[in-house]
Amino acid sequence: MKHYIESLLHSDDHQFLGVFVSDDLEKEGVFKIRYLFCDIKSKKLNTVELNAKDTFPHIDIPVLDWYEREIYDMFGLIPEGHPNLRPLMLFPENYPKDFHPLRKDANMNIKYEGYKTYPYEDFDPEGSFKILVGPIHAGIIEPGHFRFTLIGEPILKLEIRHFYKHKGIEKLSEGKTPEEGLKLSERISGDHSVAHSLAFVKAVEKIYDIDIPPKARYIRAILLELERLMCNLNDFAFIFQDVGYSFGAQKVFALKELLMRLNETLTGNRFNRNIIKIGGVSKELDTNAIKEVLGLLEKEYLKYKKLFLNSSTVLERTDTTGRIFYETAKKHAALGYVAKASNIFFDTRAILEKDLYGSLVKAFKLEKGDVSARVKVRFNDIEESFNIIKTFIENMPLGDIAKNIEPKDGEAFGYEEGQRGNITHFLRIEQGLISRWKIRDPSFHNWPIIQKAVLGDIIADFPLINKSLNLSYAGNDL
Amino acid sequence: MLNILKSFLKEGIKTEDITPYNEQNIVIYKKLPKHLKGSLNIRHVDCGSCNACEYELTALSNVFYDIERFGIKFVASPKHADALTITGPITRNMYKPLLDAIQNTPNPKVIIAIGDCSIDGGLFKGAYGIMGGLKDINIEPHILIRGCPPHPRDIISGILKGFD
Repeated sequence: MKHYIESLLHSDDHQFLGVFVSDDLEKEGVFKIRYLFCDIKSKKLNTVELNAKDTFPHIDIPVLDWYEREIYDMFGLIPEGHPNLRPLMLFPENYPKDFHPLRKDANMNIKYEGYKTYPYEDFDPEGSFKILVGPIHAGIIEPGHFRFTLIGEPILKLEIRHFYKHKGIEKLSEGKTPEEGLKLSERISGDHSVAHSLAFVKAVEKIYDIDIPPKARYIRAILLELERLMCNLNDFAFIFQDVGYSFGAQKVFALKELLMRLNETLTGNRFNRNIIKIGGVSKELDTNAIKEVLGLLEKEYLKYKKLFLNSSTVLERTDTTGRIFYETAKKHAALGYVAKASNIFFDTRAILEKDLYGSLVKAFKLEKGDVSARVKVRFNDIEESFNIIKTFIENMPLGDIAKNIEPKDGEAFGYEEGQRGNITHFLRIEQGLISRWKIRDPSFHNWPIIQKAVLGDIIADFPLINKSLNLSYAGNDL
Repeated sequence: MLNILKSFLKEGIKTEDITPYNEQNIVIYKKLPKHLKGSLNIRHVDCGSCNACEYELTALSNVFYDIERFGIKFVASPKHADALTITGPITRNMYKPLLDAIQNTPNPKVIIAIGDCSIDGGLFKGAYGIMGGLKDINIEPHILIRGCPPHPRDIISGILKGFD
């Protein structure tokens, strides 16, 4: 089984989507470990299941490192042969030693006390020095710790330590109703409220065995594209800001603000929260308002895209900076624009939801894997979003926007293409309540890649590389 | 260059008044020291939010809200700051860094709680990974701005009202 999983991980026809574990000790006497792949040729999900009692096989590939450490933290299962098994989410400074919260028999009434300090990697070559950054950063961004080892200006090694924002959402959701879960799902990663809640409701709808009305699907797709547009414009503005071009940054930030105001008029919330519900959506969209704002945005956006591509000061900073090579991206099962800029195309909309999107999402990828390639992928995404929204508004079907639901028990995967890449949720409902919910944000795959992307670049380029990846801490740390 | 100048003239000034804001979302526990009015330096500390509050705090600097016209500025270190803005339900892993940041802020320090989570944990109440908001770790903020996330206009108005 181990070799089979290994071969799928290295295969070009399969995209690895995550490891999803559940505690089935009570019923079946084992923990179930599911390795989820997407077969790109047949466009189907492919799950490989392992049963484990105390241990499970360690597979030597970078993408699994965090997964295996997470499984140890959460369930106490030991990946046999893992060379450096350190706590990941439960910091040894703050949590007791044998605390594995996602086990059904976990004792939660414990004293939250640490037992040792976190062991960082031992790397100290002669003549090198370290720069430690975070967890609290200089800008208005989320917390995380970065340890640079440098000789002069170039970066020799970067070690990241995340999960400062670990709240325990997965455990918190257990015993809650799916409606309460939906509220939580909108707050997994704030800027991805729509994408995460869609992944969640899709899993619920699969369990309840309902097909939502076509009109609801279209409205959801438009909301998703509006969110993608907002995030991409935000990233675009930040790239301008981090190369020191504040004129461009302020102009694009203003476009993002227009979009958030559009959201507010459409749904009453600047992040489009509270509109998606199980079985459909709760509100129709004012398509004229969308058309009006998007018309203006598209014209303005093209101006600043031209400004970006024709400005030597910008390109000087972004070209060949922060390169991620194909091999690295593949080994880390990169997702979203990070993968697309490094010659791997995987888009949930184009592969798993072709019936809705048809040929609207093109197989766009670039080879260079540097900051400017990642920006260009975003340009493509922005233009695609404009196109998708326009097409969906024109072809909006008539009919209901929601279906009545009949609660059922069961388990299912739900997935959606967020702006950062594929989001997958695994959900199990027992007696009408959530009994296991595993959330996998694309950032969980993409964060470790940053450790490779910065190598050889100078420390001053780090903020720019970081922004070109713009990963979520909240969705990663959970 | 000429095009840029032309577009400036055509578009005019985009910066807006901060009304209307929602009075109910602003809770003032303590008044802010008067001498900080017109020059308030803020260090932001995210203690486990979902990132939506950070999105709105970033929006404060865009041309529509332009928080710097009120002399409010975000700075890079707690040692440069008069005030800390705190978001999120205070995770166990962020508790110590938060205390460090508070300790390193010179007196009189102002604490501004942003968002529903920051005061009592909000929707994340009961999760094992959180301490449960400022109330639960015995830190009393000067101002609380409610909302999930709060509107940028509410945030600016809330801070300014703290001086009244």
